[in-house]
Amino acid sequence: MKSALIIGITGQDGAYLTKLLLDKGYKVAGTSRDAHMANTAGLDALGVAERVVVHSASLTDFRGLWQTIEKVDPDEVYNLAGQSSVGLSFEQPLETFESVAVATINILELLRLLGKPIRFYNACSSECFGNATEPAVETTPFKPRSPYAVAKAASFWSVANYREAYGLYACSGILSNHESPLRPARFVTRKIVSTACRIADGSGERLSLGNTGVVRDWGWAGEYVDAMWRMLQMDTPEDFLIATGKSYSLQDFTAQVFAELGLDHTEHVDVNPGLYRPTDILESRANPSKAERLLGWRATMAMPEVARAMVRAEREPTSSKENRT
Amino acid sequence: MKKKVALITGITGQDGAYLAEMLLEKGYEVHGIKRRASLFNTARIDHLYQDPNVTGRRFILHYGDLTDATNLIRVIQQVQPDELYNLAAQSHVAVSFESPEYTANCDALGTLRILEAIRILGLTEKTKVYQASTSELFGKVREVPQTEKTPFYPRSPYAVAKLYGYWITVNYREAYNMFACNGILFNHESPMRGETFVTRKITRAMARIKLGLQDCLFLGNLNARRDWGHARDYVEMMWLMLQQATPDDYVIATGVQYSVREFVQATADELGIPIRFEGEGADEKGFHGETGKCIVAVAPRYFRPTEVETLLGDPTKARVQLGWQPRITFAQMVSEMAKADLRDAERDTLCKRQGFATYDYHE
Repeated sequence: MKSALIIGITGQDGAYLTKLLLDKGYKVAGTSRDAHMANTAGLDALGVAERVVVHSASLTDFRGLWQTIEKVDPDEVYNLAGQSSVGLSFEQPLETFESVAVATINILELLRLLGKPIRFYNACSSECFGNATEPAVETTPFKPRSPYAVAKAASFWSVANYREAYGLYACSGILSNHESPLRPARFVTRKIVSTACRIADGSGERLSLGNTGVVRDWGWAGEYVDAMWRMLQMDTPEDFLIATGKSYSLQDFTAQVFAELGLDHTEHVDVNPGLYRPTDILESRANPSKAERLLGWRATMAMPEVARAMVRAEREPTSSKENRT
Repeated sequence: MKKKVALITGITGQDGAYLAEMLLEKGYEVHGIKRRASLFNTARIDHLYQDPNVTGRRFILHYGDLTDATNLIRVIQQVQPDELYNLAAQSHVAVSFESPEYTANCDALGTLRILEAIRILGLTEKTKVYQASTSELFGKVREVPQTEKTPFYPRSPYAVAKLYGYWITVNYREAYNMFACNGILFNHESPMRGETFVTRKITRAMARIKLGLQDCLFLGNLNARRDWGHARDYVEMMWLMLQQATPDDYVIATGVQYSVREFVQATADELGIPIRFEGEGADEKGFHGETGKCIVAVAPRYFRPTEVETLLGDPTKARVQLGWQPRITFAQMVSEMAKADLRDAERDTLCKRQGFATYDYHE
């Protein structure tokens, strides 16, 4: 039986990846900064919380990480941990760097030290490309526009460097935005869905958004974790851009969500310049053809399907509405 | 006009020393941050030292460390600099493979700590920032020569950390309107270059070989090609960048490239050592033309896990927009370095002859 260690198992992607790997017959373990305090709402929502062991490990603590890997003895390591909010990275640039870039260096150093044939997936982000009016591909130069994106760019190159310098099987998945009901409410997609649903229920509140002109490629998290796994099943490690290939504006997303609820978004939305970011990406476009060609992976859900699925999940009484905010 | 105040991190290094000297000549009050150490570490700036007891001092040192945010905030608050030059770093590529996390902490996070300190102290309107970026960012080069528009491909933990420093500087400029510039400097050398960097290692070793203090010089990749300029020329460019109307990033280079082997040859010529190279790769050796002794050899331990084979900068933008051109040629630089190291070697020979102990550092 193959064994996988998911670093950052309690997040959105960690939960979906756990489910995918368990279904494939893997033995799955994960880490969280404090396993006893960890919020397992995501794992609970997918019904897998009881089937995984969660260890406490801080990614900036080399020794603790080492102990965990010795204990788990994984064939595959997925690093999904790290401060993942672009907006928050302007408030906490230092913590963002440590949890994203220093963490990656620590894992790479550990794999180098252990010298075992462990395969390593590292979560990178399409935010690294900055404004992409032309669809980005894997070789498009990075132009990061936030402390989050700069930290992710550093981690991407650390992975590439350790692969080339020491022959590690290490890959970066450059993922475009991927959503699900497990997104915390501070992410704009979930915020829109939650608020719209409350409005539909008669809350009478207004939805306050920042720049709704921004364009993004939104996919479904449940599909993206499959691409992560596929990256580690190749003969040679490579980096892949994972996206739907279809971009929409935040305005489009908002309209879609309200329409799913039979509402007209223009009657409920305020634009609040206070929510604008110091620097933002106006357009994010991606071309995932390499993933389709080499991994046989293709997104089946783009923004309209994602919005619909998120609204449906939000309306279900069993959904993880109490997910951490 | 009020006297301008500059703060230099990494003042004890090669660039810090040249920059401090230049800014003092321009009438600046110069503050520097140096790391606490049990050993003296100010050899390069001792000639600039001013007694703390005299009034009207214009050269002032502070203890500090890029890994300590509280300390940086306090020093910056105290100094209230008009210009801040962030030259401090773990700047050795080979060492970064040994200490990647430390390198990230100093070079990446250190830069962020400086930018954040300026922001949190409300100095974004006042303090202009120069960030020491590097040609190592180009690494496995995607085009030749490299310009400000060439995409990066970092090939070492040092270069990856500096990549973060570069982009976070750009981000703070765009996000908070700070006057912050990156100087993408290609290799720059001088007699003050650290002894473990390949150029200084070569001139020092060849001088000592000439005087019989050392037998053989061991090097890594002799085929590596670099664009080598003189540090004294390059610090002028740092200052020029901060005197512009708008902040921008610039490549600073000579536009001419030599191999490590050619650097050895130029040094040997300068010192009058006849040398001929034989063999290839790890078996390549340099023999003394008269004695036939092997004086240069390749030691694979100096090969890097990922090599940067070639770097060549195109300084057109700096020339056109800032009117900057390097003045010191490659030959003049090698000559100056070789002469200075020969002088040191002569001192050591003299001391030894008189029975005094001399330092015999090895890297």
